[in-house]
Amino acid sequence: MGKNDYIGGGIFTALGVLIWALTWHFPVLMEAGGRHPGPSLFPRVLGTLFIFFSLIVILEGWRKSKTPPPPAAEDEGGNVIIIGEKNYFNAVLVIILMAAFIALAGYLGFIITGGAVLFILMWKLHVKLLKSLIISAVVICFIYSVFAKILRVPLPHGFLWW
Amino acid sequence: MLFAPKTFLTIIVCSLYGLFVGSIPGLSATLAASLLVPFTFFMDPLAALVAIVTMSAMAIFAGDIPAALIRIPGTPSSAAYTQDSFALTQQGKAELVLGADIIFSAIGGLMGAIVLMTSAPLLAEVAMKFSTFEYFWLAALGLSATVMVSASSQAKGAISMCLGLFLSTIGVDITLGYPRFTFGSVDLLNGVSFIPAMIGVFGISEVMRNVSERQMDFAITKVKTRGIFAGVGKLIKKYQWNMWRSGAIGTIIGVLPGAGADIAAWIAYAASKRASKEKELYGKGSIEAIVDSGTANNACLAGDWVPALVFGIPGDSITAVVIGVIFMKGLRPGPMIFEQHPEIIYGVYFAFILANLLMVPFGWLAVKVSSQMLRVPKNVLIPVILMFAITGAFAINNDVFDIITLGVMGIVGYFMERNDYPVAPIVLGLVLGPILEQNFMTSMIKSDWNLILFFTRPISALLGICTVAMWGFPFLMAFLEKAGVRESGLKK
Repeated sequence: MGKNDYIGGGIFTALGVLIWALTWHFPVLMEAGGRHPGPSLFPRVLGTLFIFFSLIVILEGWRKSKTPPPPAAEDEGGNVIIIGEKNYFNAVLVIILMAAFIALAGYLGFIITGGAVLFILMWKLHVKLLKSLIISAVVICFIYSVFAKILRVPLPHGFLWW
Repeated sequence: MLFAPKTFLTIIVCSLYGLFVGSIPGLSATLAASLLVPFTFFMDPLAALVAIVTMSAMAIFAGDIPAALIRIPGTPSSAAYTQDSFALTQQGKAELVLGADIIFSAIGGLMGAIVLMTSAPLLAEVAMKFSTFEYFWLAALGLSATVMVSASSQAKGAISMCLGLFLSTIGVDITLGYPRFTFGSVDLLNGVSFIPAMIGVFGISEVMRNVSERQMDFAITKVKTRGIFAGVGKLIKKYQWNMWRSGAIGTIIGVLPGAGADIAAWIAYAASKRASKEKELYGKGSIEAIVDSGTANNACLAGDWVPALVFGIPGDSITAVVIGVIFMKGLRPGPMIFEQHPEIIYGVYFAFILANLLMVPFGWLAVKVSSQMLRVPKNVLIPVILMFAITGAFAINNDVFDIITLGVMGIVGYFMERNDYPVAPIVLGLVLGPILEQNFMTSMIKSDWNLILFFTRPISALLGICTVAMWGFPFLMAFLEKAGVRESGLKK
């Protein structure tokens, strides 16, 4: 967690510096006979706060790295308990599917693209193939009915006009 | 108007929706609210607000069900007393626990509703005297309170808040109409759309988190509903004083901007344990803890609406969503809404009362089908939530750019949560950013850039001192801690 704090702190410090750089040439407000910060004021305050709090986070991360980690939990047999492994690919898949929906929905239509997103994600989450197909088809038709027919949202329709 | 068929049907459907989402671990009331927003877009203002009121009241209670049955809170507001609930279930008292959850949640909710009905109009009278100075300090106070109550590091909470505020600056600025951080994009000229951003931060990040987890099969305790309310009458008699105390705690916490039902539950739990004659039972199966925390978290809900309706400052993340909905309907939260749209205010009051009365039969029903609800496979539910989130985000402006916003904010929310950055302050920053900046710049322009005027008006001065004191509090605590360590070191 200490290392992550360094990275996070570094990213937000960089964001603070970037905000200052981007606002350098913002126009000023001519008021009360003087020049006053206009559009740049609020972002620059935020940029400064980003830098300030990021340095605190980095410092907290450094302090955490100095303290020894707590002992791992053990079960009755004295074996170390391993917390369930995470599948980060699935999280990436969610973003890939959203990007694919954005790119393809205009051409293939909402029903085909949305149905494909549902099917692929369910199948990847170990829902059986036939069950995934049926549930995806039913759910996408339900969502289409609710949004396009009842709420009259102009969902993207593709070459099949779906 | 509340009993008009369409509105009443909305209440029933949203109640069931709230019960369902609240009882599934991993899905929060805020997620439920954010997914509901695209539907409220198509409702009239009263129905939209009533939908969120009933959904949130049911969801906060429903989180108690999996807490008792499988030791996993359905919503964060049930976390404080999960251990006690589950321990009592293991002692064969599941029916008593769930019956107490239903009744004391309803009582707490009704207490909060009464405070909302009596205090909101009084505060609206005070708010009529507010000018830009007061609104600036109020927004700053709300944001500061959010950071102070961050469960993780306050510095991380502050960074999240700043990120939300920064996102609110994207678009055309209010003083000169200058485009900020748009990078030539026409879509960004209108700024970051609040609702897709909110659904992304709460919904998509939750989806990403859930699909990353290893699948869990729950060992579920079946509950008989026949005797569920037996013994609750005795609890009401025995713990009367607890009920009133926790109702007050919950409502006061709710009125404070930035603090929500989960904090109310924890504070009520701590107060209950301190005052209890059976302290040793806490954590091992104390029904008193459940009475206190269950009352407080539902009382907090109505309290959260007080600053939201009167000042436009969200009391928690759900009311941040509500404020977004109010603006979306072309209304403006503040004292004028009490004069110009009293039907909406009275509608919200009675929706709270109705929702908490309906909680008893609906809660009974939810407990009856709890074992079925908890068996809904997550690997089917999560993709469905994703598709609803995508379609809902698109439906706001019929713009594919909103789905891009959804995805980007989902990624940001996911990584921030993984690294212990709270995400609720991002949404609060997005909502309060324009209020903060607009009131600050207007105040500065009309005072000829004289900062002293922020402290010359009485209410403004009081709010300003409270806000500055809150900023200095962590440093004071750190200083006192070091002084205490040094003193104990010297004494050795």
